[in-house]
Amino acid sequence: MQSKIEGGPAFAYINIDLDPGETVIGESDAMSSMAADLNLEAKFNGGFFAGLAKAFLGGESLFVNHFTNNTSSTRRVTLVQSTPGNTRAVELNGQQLCLQPGAYIASTPGVQLGVRWAGFKSWFAREGLFKLTVTGTGTVWYGAYGGLLEKEVHGEYIVDTSHLVAYEPQMKLNIQLAGGLFSSLFGGEGFVTRVEGTGKIVVQTRSMSGLADWINPRLW
Amino acid sequence: MQITINRNGENYGPYSLEQVREMLDSGQAQPTDMGHVEGESEWVPLSDLSNNLPEAGEKPPVIGSQDDDTYTPTGEHEHEFRIECKPDFSYLTVQVPANQTLKVEASAMATMSTNMVMKTKMKGGLSRFLGGESLFINEFSAQGGSAEIGIAPGSPGDMDHVHLSGADEIFLQSSAYVASGMQVNVDSKWQGFKGFFSGEGLFLLRCTGHGDLWFNTYGAMIEIPVDGNYVVDTSHVVAFTGGLQYNVESVGGLKSLFLSGEGLVCRFAGQGKVWIQTRHPMAFANWTYPFRPESNN
Amino acid sequence: MQINITHRPGNSAAKVSLEAGESITAEGGAMIAMSGHMQVETTTHKKDQGSILGAIKRLVTGESLFLNHFTPSGGPGEVYFGTALSGDMMEYNLNGPGIMVQGGSYVASSPSVDMDIQWQGFGKALFSGESMFLIRLSGQGPVILNSFGAVYPIQVNGEYIVDTGHIVAFEETLNYEVSKAGKSWLSSILGGEGLVCKFHGQGTVWCQSHNAGSFGASLGPNLKPR
Repeated sequence: MQSKIEGGPAFAYINIDLDPGETVIGESDAMSSMAADLNLEAKFNGGFFAGLAKAFLGGESLFVNHFTNNTSSTRRVTLVQSTPGNTRAVELNGQQLCLQPGAYIASTPGVQLGVRWAGFKSWFAREGLFKLTVTGTGTVWYGAYGGLLEKEVHGEYIVDTSHLVAYEPQMKLNIQLAGGLFSSLFGGEGFVTRVEGTGKIVVQTRSMSGLADWINPRLW
Repeated sequence: MQITINRNGENYGPYSLEQVREMLDSGQAQPTDMGHVEGESEWVPLSDLSNNLPEAGEKPPVIGSQDDDTYTPTGEHEHEFRIECKPDFSYLTVQVPANQTLKVEASAMATMSTNMVMKTKMKGGLSRFLGGESLFINEFSAQGGSAEIGIAPGSPGDMDHVHLSGADEIFLQSSAYVASGMQVNVDSKWQGFKGFFSGEGLFLLRCTGHGDLWFNTYGAMIEIPVDGNYVVDTSHVVAFTGGLQYNVESVGGLKSLFLSGEGLVCRFAGQGKVWIQTRHPMAFANWTYPFRPESNN
Repeated sequence: MQINITHRPGNSAAKVSLEAGESITAEGGAMIAMSGHMQVETTTHKKDQGSILGAIKRLVTGESLFLNHFTPSGGPGEVYFGTALSGDMMEYNLNGPGIMVQGGSYVASSPSVDMDIQWQGFGKALFSGESMFLIRLSGQGPVILNSFGAVYPIQVNGEYIVDTGHIVAFEETLNYEVSKAGKSWLSSILGGEGLVCKFHGQGTVWCQSHNAGSFGASLGPNLKPR
């Protein structure tokens, strides 16, 4: 399998060239274009109950698509996330990665997706109750609205909740108000995430809620 | 800079930053190896050090590789800062020295050090707020030490920095304001030209004073040096320098006003600079209509 | 005429430099900025010809009812074009076979290019949710198209599948049919791919990486209700 992310960082899309017999798994509606003789099958996202959990709790789709090359030569499928922005590929070799709901795009069959409880405060912060975890061996592609920046945290750091995309599982997350009550309401910051520990986090430089907040005053 | 690399308990080096970069590129050193810079107290992963290099080359994705298109100031500037993810999703990171304050557009903070304290102020006064035009500004102060803040506007697009030095004057579209130093005067009560933006709830800010000013564009940013005459659709005007004369009119006669979709334009004359954005919000607002949830009335 | 497309693929703008007397036709609302001495004429039809019927047909494709014709007077001039939604732009020089353009993707073209609306028939578009009309551009000269997402070309040599929301334009030498994405209808619907466009023959399809409908659906829940 060969893959390349093009169009980034504004409109990143993934060109995946599957060798005969290979499969790649993509979230619902991620396909932009593909060779006509590739086999496309919708399957439950990890089995019925796991899929249900991931759909209602993790913000992912109930079904995922399995693209399999049953021909005798290489075939291409082009996958993309639903929003503009950048996409990243991560090689997993047993380690785990935590993703925000909706960040997952595609993965190779050796990668497992699970959900992790994120706490009630996370729900108040408009971010959902669960986080998605990916682990196993293989490649996972994820992305978000905006550009993606990696940050090394040593100690603690504050990230606006809608701007956090991915983090290493050893990091502890806590939700708190951005400032005092007045500031948090009128300052538009609301809830923020306090990240504690040592490890990497990935930040997105725009957010869907920020975009909506920007355009909503202009809507009649 | 002299850097010692530690791997598997053994110390190697010291090496220069240049040598470390070469070793990372060739795979001799790993980004996860720990490095100690002479004079610093802490050991940091080499990826931390190599991130400060202007050209780091292809790095093996660990959680992912660094984004391109970063801008760090070379001209006059008051704060240390960088603008990343240009030109589509520009993101501003500013270093605020200990006990100093930075003014930032409300809801634009994306990341910050834990010793940053936020206070909210409302600019433009209550009447402006009630009139649907408001500019909320947060003040972030670095307490007990320097602090860092990452700023992300809500709309996608580019960002620029201007350093004002006393005599300079910049007119800025209100929703384009991102951040400024404390000595920059952001005047929102300036009446100047009412109706510049044909009722979109926008108004012109007049910025003077001393220090850094950052503003963003919705869409890509085009800087146009005006020397004579130039016409710009008003919804695409982001900022312009004080010396220019400007006149708002309709394009191509009355029929064009209603039919051509261009609406109002601003004719600039004289010498100066105009910053324009390649997209305008009302078109996006119109586009969102079918996706909006229906109200339950 | 010189066309320079900047800021690809995220927020493309097209800068068109015209010699005195040269003209460019663009859809209403596309102009961002222009030289002071540029003359603008607004019509519902192609410069110097046509009828309102063409305009109404354009409306159903998702384009504006009106066209603007820009001509600099007394010297060369320039005009910048942008679009409502962010994305890429591409320039294509017509010289022989025409191209079929998805509704909403047309930005501007030289007056020597002919524009026609083609109805694709019930079978092709009824369930796809996309416009039933495509714009056919033919003749000689440059055209500027826009897309939501980055534009990438696919050289079709046999068969290729493109999700219906991802087509910008294609050479009219290609045939296409709307069909289900997977082997079964169940797969296609559950997998979210729904209907796709299967192209046959030889020619180029210009695809857009992203789908405006999916983006709108992601943003929708956050928006003010209407």
